Amino acid sequence: MAKQVLSFTVNGEHVEVLVQPYVTLLDALREDVGLTGPKEGCGTGDCGACSVHLDGKLVASCLVLAMQARGRSVTTIEGLAGDGVLTPLQDAFVRRGVAQCGFCIPGVVMAAAALLAENAKPSEQDIRYAIAGNLCRCTGYTKMVEAIAEVAGTAAGARAVGMKG
Amino acid sequence: MATVMKTTRDVKGVGLSIPRPDGPEKVTGKVQYVADIQPRGLLHAKLLRSPHAHARITRIDTSRARALAGVRAVLTAADMPYLKKKAPTRAHAVLAIDRVVFAGQPVAAVAADEVAIAEEALDLIDVEYEVLPAAVDPLEAMKPGAPPVAESGTEADTSEAQAHGSVAGVAAVAKPAKAVNISQQTKLARGDVAKGFAECDVVLEKTYRVPMVHQGYLEPHAVLAQWDTTGQLTLWASTQGSFNTRSEVADVLEIPENRIKVIPVECGGGFGGKIRALCEPVTAELARVTRRPVRYVMTRREELIAGMPAPQVIIRLKTGVKRDGTLMALDGEIVIESGAFSGAVLAVGAVFLASLYKWPAFEVRGFEVLTHKPSIAAYRAPVAPHTIFAIDSHMDQIADALGQDPVAFRLRHIQRDGDPMANNQPWASNAGYEVLERVAQHPSWKQREAWKKSAPTGKLRGTGLSLGGWLGGLQPTGATVRLNPDGSLSVLTGQVDIAGTNIALAQIAASAYGIDIERVKITTGDTDVAPMTGLSAGSKTVYTVGAAVLQAAEDARRQTLEIAAKELEAAVHDLEIEDGKVVVRGVPGKGVTLASIGKKGNLYMSKVQPVLGVANPAFSQQAPAFAAQLARVELDADTGEVTLHEFVVVQDVGKAINPLACEGQMQGGAVQSLGIALTEGLMYDDKGRLMNPSLLDYRKLTAADLPSIECIIVEKPSPAGPFGARGVGEPPIVPAPAAIANAIEDAAGVRLTALPMTPEKIALAIAHR
Repeated sequence: MAKQVLSFTVNGEHVEVLVQPYVTLLDALREDVGLTGPKEGCGTGDCGACSVHLDGKLVASCLVLAMQARGRSVTTIEGLAGDGVLTPLQDAFVRRGVAQCGFCIPGVVMAAAALLAENAKPSEQDIRYAIAGNLCRCTGYTKMVEAIAEVAGTAAGARAVGMKG
Repeated sequence: MATVMKTTRDVKGVGLSIPRPDGPEKVTGKVQYVADIQPRGLLHAKLLRSPHAHARITRIDTSRARALAGVRAVLTAADMPYLKKKAPTRAHAVLAIDRVVFAGQPVAAVAADEVAIAEEALDLIDVEYEVLPAAVDPLEAMKPGAPPVAESGTEADTSEAQAHGSVAGVAAVAKPAKAVNISQQTKLARGDVAKGFAECDVVLEKTYRVPMVHQGYLEPHAVLAQWDTTGQLTLWASTQGSFNTRSEVADVLEIPENRIKVIPVECGGGFGGKIRALCEPVTAELARVTRRPVRYVMTRREELIAGMPAPQVIIRLKTGVKRDGTLMALDGEIVIESGAFSGAVLAVGAVFLASLYKWPAFEVRGFEVLTHKPSIAAYRAPVAPHTIFAIDSHMDQIADALGQDPVAFRLRHIQRDGDPMANNQPWASNAGYEVLERVAQHPSWKQREAWKKSAPTGKLRGTGLSLGGWLGGLQPTGATVRLNPDGSLSVLTGQVDIAGTNIALAQIAASAYGIDIERVKITTGDTDVAPMTGLSAGSKTVYTVGAAVLQAAEDARRQTLEIAAKELEAAVHDLEIEDGKVVVRGVPGKGVTLASIGKKGNLYMSKVQPVLGVANPAFSQQAPAFAAQLARVELDADTGEVTLHEFVVVQDVGKAINPLACEGQMQGGAVQSLGIALTEGLMYDDKGRLMNPSLLDYRKLTAADLPSIECIIVEKPSPAGPFGARGVGEPPIVPAPAAIANAIEDAAGVRLTALPMTPEKIALAIAHR
């Protein structure tokens, strides 16, 4: 099959790559754009490790064809923080020792950032449902929920968690 | 005025909740796992897997696949002459020879320019199978006449088959010698069991079943292999033990170990499933024939179909007690389904079943049975959750039958330090008793009657607890501690940090040497440079590697003080390390900086030795560790749905080197334990094919299923561990199945003995009570 031009915005920058039409957004980001923060844990949308924001909405990038992102804006875990600066959410994850193996963490952080952009004062149940699509095998989720709740308690809206369009 | 000297150990080190140094890399997505490494010229591997559990391969034709553009290599067993028809282990069964023994077994391998091309090539490989009857149910597989697994699988060991007759749910095996699928047997006995049962008042007999479950690490197996022109193989591996991976790959490929370098890449979870080699040998072979770097990443579907899950375990347990609660006799049979290759840890089950409580007479028979399913591996405290599910469910029922308090009943009979285990070894120092006492003080245990009565209409509420643990692992290991020219320390070990152990090891080095944690860097070396180190498994990393780091840091400290003693013209015992300096006690202002000592160790014409602390200890003393878990549940009386309202983990960690990391282990282990209890299980059809090979159908617990997990750390120092530490990883995965079963009985008066305790099973039990 002939490759197609995928022209889109990734983490605020214009990007053009050539991709096969059957390639997923996850594979295009990882293999062609070189952003390996989003992970493939299942490839079937069940684990959430590949979560990114597409035009500000949380998606499982393994379930989106790369060409569906043409002309649109994607934010990955790499684009969440500014250069060398952690968002308050990422900082809370670090201080509270959330990450163990770390494989699920990019997806969880993206899901939590999407939640806080929509709901600056989520309840514990809101938080648990917001990351219910992100499987984690190491942590038991407790410290994750605490970190998100901590940031929600102080968040002054979406900017505090580094959401981008 | 004399200033109060800080003690040596008064540094930022052991006992503090210091966040892991790799946190920022992990929360920004910068940490690289194997699948993230993209060398130039990379090829992608895929495996063709058998759709049948048991079949003869009558023909393989790879010509169409080889002709596909972009395909660089297609391998079958015929291309690997060193493969043995009777593979001694699963790792040796790289590609099937003539016969497949489980659905999902690799039959052919492809390396191609793109993953999609490799997948297309698999479709072009023509394989003809003659399907054979499969041994799927372990109890059936034990019987004479069952389809044999071992013919081209592993050599089954039936040498002890004569002595043992009946097995859980199965009539006596008439001719045990023909029970070809029994690959291991064990028996532990003490006292007169028949007399014990004859003299008891209350007999309880139940059969407990736990299905195969997957370790569930989020990163699937992955490896990247590359050879250089001199015949050196480098493997970037997701492994729990780089030296073990090296040994297994060298053994399979028949090349010297020192020609293989295993680089342990960040491991995205293992839990026992990434100890043994799985996809490394075939990937290495593809890289050898293509002379290109080859990467293989298993899909989730492949992980579930053809990983190395935990075994199915079936335990028939019969106990006899006197009406006053005196324990009289225990008789147990443990059947462990090992899949197509032998290797279950049979002993753990047998020992645990009869060792926790004081049975004056017992007999436990253990059987490892081969079936036509993927072979099994360890999963965090292998077989312990299964065994504790049986014995601790049983203890609760006995107490209930006698009208006794379940905690007091356990405390009365629990074995203590020095009491004989079932294998006649004395129990090493542990806090099983203390942990159980502690959990019973929890308000949710004391208020369990109030909780029960508070149930709204249509709901049932209950509370349950359980005690479980792990005997502790051992393995020789090594570490070096180096003083740098700026006065900082570099610690080198060969252990893979899969659980946050590196921060704990750095804390140990800091406290042992006398320097703040910020001045300590710890590195996991590859197999070319690191001290030989064992597996990150069995709750032994901090216990053993931590001891090595402790000794190496003390060695470095001794060397540092000896150098300083000469410079300061003082006795070593008068010296102290404080704020990055060696100072003389009671003589303010007299001292030498660590940096100056470090510099002299790397200075042209210097006659001062560089400080290099080395330790390579072996160990003999295990440190058992116990956890008790308490569950507060609510059941829907109609649907059987379980809502967990509270879950508490009380655990003895000996000494919490890093309480934050300990809590992470306790919470994560508890949720794995709850998964075994409530939702997880690999389901096979009658032809041995997996029916739930996706994370939609293989149901792991999510954040929305769970409450916050409360942690209570108990510290009873171990005699030999660094700063008294015990292993932390295994104990929390053990108790939840029994705790939940006990809570369900408290709520609904029904006893579940088969895991997972799904709403369907609970609703049916309630309907039939």
